[in-house]
Amino acid sequence: MIFNWFKIFIYHLKQSKLFSFLNVLGLSIGVAGVIFAILYWNNENAYDQWNPEKENVYEVLNKFGTNADIWNSSPVPFGLTCKATIPEIESITFFTGWYSEDVIKHENQKWIGKKIIVADYDFFDSFPFPILKGAKKDILKEKNSVAISDKTAKLIFKNEDPIGKIITKDNKPYIVKTVYKIMSPSSVEPDYVFGGLINEDDLKQWGNFNYTLMVKTKKGASKELVLKKMQHVNFVNRTVKEAKDKGVTPEQFVKENGEILIIIDQLATARLHGTKSPNGANFPEGRGNLQLLYIVVGLSILILTLSLVNYINLATASAIKRAKEVGVRKIVGASKKQIIAQFIFETAIIVVLAIIFALAIVELSLPYYNNFLKKSLTMNGGEFYLQLIFIFGLVIVLAGIFPAIYISNFETLKVLKGNFARSKSGIWIRNSMLIFQFGIAAFFIIGALIVNSQVSYMMNKDLGFSGDQVIRVPFRFTDQAKKGEKYRTAKQEILKFTGVQDVSTFAGSFGNGSTSSSGFTYNGVFVQPRNIEMDYGFLDMMKIKIVKGRDLSPKYASDTVSNWLINEALAKKIGLKNPINTIISSGWGNEKGNMKFKVVGVVKDFHITGLQSEVPPMIFVTMKTLKWNNFENVYIKVSPNNLTETLAKLKTYWEKNINPDYPFDYEFVNKGFAKTYEEQVKQKDLFFILNLVVIIIAIFGLFALASFSMERRLKEIAIRKTLGAETDILLKELSKQYIVFCLIGFAIGIMPAYILLQKWLENFAFRIDVSVVPFTVALVSLLILTLMIVLAKAYQVTKIDILKYLKYE
Amino acid sequence: MITIQNLTKVFRTEEVETSALSGISLEIKRGDFLTIMGPSGCGKSTLLNIIGLLDSATDGSYKLLDQEMVGLKEKGRAAVRKENIGFIFQNFNLIDELSVYDNIELPLLYNNVKVADRKQKILAIAEKLNILHRLKHYPQQLSGGQQQRVAVARALVNDPKIILADEPTGNLDSKNGNEVMELLTDLHAKGATILMVTHSDYDASFSQKTIHMKDGVIFSERFNQRNVDVFMDAK
Repeated sequence: MIFNWFKIFIYHLKQSKLFSFLNVLGLSIGVAGVIFAILYWNNENAYDQWNPEKENVYEVLNKFGTNADIWNSSPVPFGLTCKATIPEIESITFFTGWYSEDVIKHENQKWIGKKIIVADYDFFDSFPFPILKGAKKDILKEKNSVAISDKTAKLIFKNEDPIGKIITKDNKPYIVKTVYKIMSPSSVEPDYVFGGLINEDDLKQWGNFNYTLMVKTKKGASKELVLKKMQHVNFVNRTVKEAKDKGVTPEQFVKENGEILIIIDQLATARLHGTKSPNGANFPEGRGNLQLLYIVVGLSILILTLSLVNYINLATASAIKRAKEVGVRKIVGASKKQIIAQFIFETAIIVVLAIIFALAIVELSLPYYNNFLKKSLTMNGGEFYLQLIFIFGLVIVLAGIFPAIYISNFETLKVLKGNFARSKSGIWIRNSMLIFQFGIAAFFIIGALIVNSQVSYMMNKDLGFSGDQVIRVPFRFTDQAKKGEKYRTAKQEILKFTGVQDVSTFAGSFGNGSTSSSGFTYNGVFVQPRNIEMDYGFLDMMKIKIVKGRDLSPKYASDTVSNWLINEALAKKIGLKNPINTIISSGWGNEKGNMKFKVVGVVKDFHITGLQSEVPPMIFVTMKTLKWNNFENVYIKVSPNNLTETLAKLKTYWEKNINPDYPFDYEFVNKGFAKTYEEQVKQKDLFFILNLVVIIIAIFGLFALASFSMERRLKEIAIRKTLGAETDILLKELSKQYIVFCLIGFAIGIMPAYILLQKWLENFAFRIDVSVVPFTVALVSLLILTLMIVLAKAYQVTKIDILKYLKYE
Repeated sequence: MITIQNLTKVFRTEEVETSALSGISLEIKRGDFLTIMGPSGCGKSTLLNIIGLLDSATDGSYKLLDQEMVGLKEKGRAAVRKENIGFIFQNFNLIDELSVYDNIELPLLYNNVKVADRKQKILAIAEKLNILHRLKHYPQQLSGGQQQRVAVARALVNDPKIILADEPTGNLDSKNGNEVMELLTDLHAKGATILMVTHSDYDASFSQKTIHMKDGVIFSERFNQRNVDVFMDAK
């Protein structure tokens, strides 16, 4: 039986090679899309799932009062008080919330260690990486302990036993206490975990939000209860005390200054569903891009649906050609079930081919996909193969059942008597599927156009500063106290280089924002502006405008003591109409209490973070005012001529004078800022590629369907021609309905496109408005495509030999 | 009305050349009722198709209303066809997806007849052919005889100069066949010009003149004596 089925399947495959090939191809593109989505989905959902404590471990974040700022760092005494007073908390750890790089030495080897975490307390309780060698408990108890990953151990110590050996970081010796195995994927995958993060000062500072706090609760402890207790710790130790200092009741204090809100994210879901903070990722390995994940999954499902619809359409349409076969089979004794089985069998073969094809497509394009996602996904794992089998089943059910039942329902007698080829049976379902396809195509075209215009808007937006020819060079100088002095010397020397036009610095970077912020209250309004410590001439070099007053200048001695600039956003926030000469009590204190500053100028708003967020309130002081020296980069304006030479000179200078241990590194400011919309550029490209795929599938579907339904009408066309219809009238007659379908499909596609794209645009503080233009363009292009295809086919069928169809059908 | 001189038609395939018509000459006057008979493959359908402008001749001359048709392009043929010729086929060739009314309307649509006139004409012809009550039905819901009457209505609705009937009774039983033949005779009596192809001597006897063809040539022409019946009665 199966052999018989197979023979006839092969016969039909050979009969229509092109259509069969396109059919398999269409289906395999759909399946490939789903495989891509699954790989991404599996990877993102696998984060931290290896961790047996994932349900009990929480990351602590702080939301600052009225300000929407959220930081993934907490003060040390807060963590310690929580641990001491909340019985549900089993252990805590503090660690640097990002990876650092540092020069590591062992005996006479020296290299730059990457993925370094510095931590304190029970880091390996929250991230229980399997311990391969050495101590299993109290690993970071001694300040000079370090734990290293097995890969790192192998790299440094080859086959020796690393335990007890000494490596140095920052010229301080550390004893290797433990070797662990990195479990991947994980929110933290450090190569080194150094101890000694916390020093004596940190223990008392309730105002220093420096390190990331993780708490591990006892099994079964309620998240809400723990959170409530932690919030209480904050209230008692911070709010009440600060209120007391100001001589107001805590309620009054909260009303005026707002309160810090504690947020805890469970590790199990932190990767994808953790709290979004505007200050970068919550974990060193970054956060999962939930939106992109949903986009990829959603679009892949749409594409699979599209290709399934195509398949069903073609299968039912071509089934008519096989009506006679079915009739004969029924007469010689086939039951309905057997007919269904036969056609599902055929679908199964095609789906197997399509999956093989899809796997090939995925295998070939996986490198590009990985590059796009910045991941290294591979196709393996039991779970993946199970999912593949599930897809196989699903596609067979969705694509196969409907045509099979449709075919099995053919009425034997009608079929054998002929005339069936012109039957209307099943036509409405094919047409509605065609409309559905038009809807999807419209959605994709509109989506791509809107995403595209938002991205080009972002690329062309006036950022308020000009980064042309300005490079950012990391300034790694280890002696914090002398860093400012070192910078000034270096500046004088670099300025002498031909090709260097200007040198300046500020504490922050374009695209990533500033490194610090401090809150104060003015006129009863609490603000937490970004602190911009900068060198004289910085605003001028970056072509950032002063809208009122003047820039800070070395000419005025008071500029380094009690004058500052504010930006427009800050002036607006605290309601200053005439900010110049206003005295503001800052968030910084010295022995005389809060430092007071006079506003001498207002800086025009410029973008320091991406266009997703509003321009934050900022204050600007000179480097000499606070002497924090927390700038990390030097900004150099270079001449475009002899750039290579200039860079070479800078490199030599850097390696000789600034830090010999680090390779010289630089980045153009514009390029650095462009990273803030890198993601969107990728989404644009993704949309563009998918658009091509969708349009190709849809066009093929349209062409095939139009072919089938027009060929079904050949006799009608012949009759009409006999009665005097001319070619152009016939063309109109034949293409009319497709234009109507196109319009209906477009109408269906409009709403989801509008709603989803509005939602997408809500990500951006600076965004385009959705106009009618993309909709019009999409409609026109869809109509043109439809007309082209349908008319081509229609023209072909109007050229038929009338006599043949009048006589013999 | 129709003058055919020395008309030939040659079918060419890659290897064989078949001559379907070789030197046919024929004249049809206004009000004639002509029948072409002959065995399968004699060329009678080809001749009918050429006269109906569905096919083109290879050589010779075919004048319809003093206009030369040989060498006319498809577009020109379509224009002449829709104005002057009504077709009746053996297998009716109705469009199944359209109702009886819509089927009859087609020639009027293609001849740009105004809406009001169209309705009037369709109702008139439907009444004449006794299918008024069937206008809303679809072809598949009608008997063969009724379908052929619809086809006749469609052929006549635009008042063509000549009606071409290709075995109009071939798919009908004798009762329905007779009805159709009486219909044609009736039309002829009222002045219509009809050219019919048939296998049946009985059907041919309804016409004025029968032409016999064989292997692409006309080998006999004879007038049918309808008064033959009178002789029979007298005997």
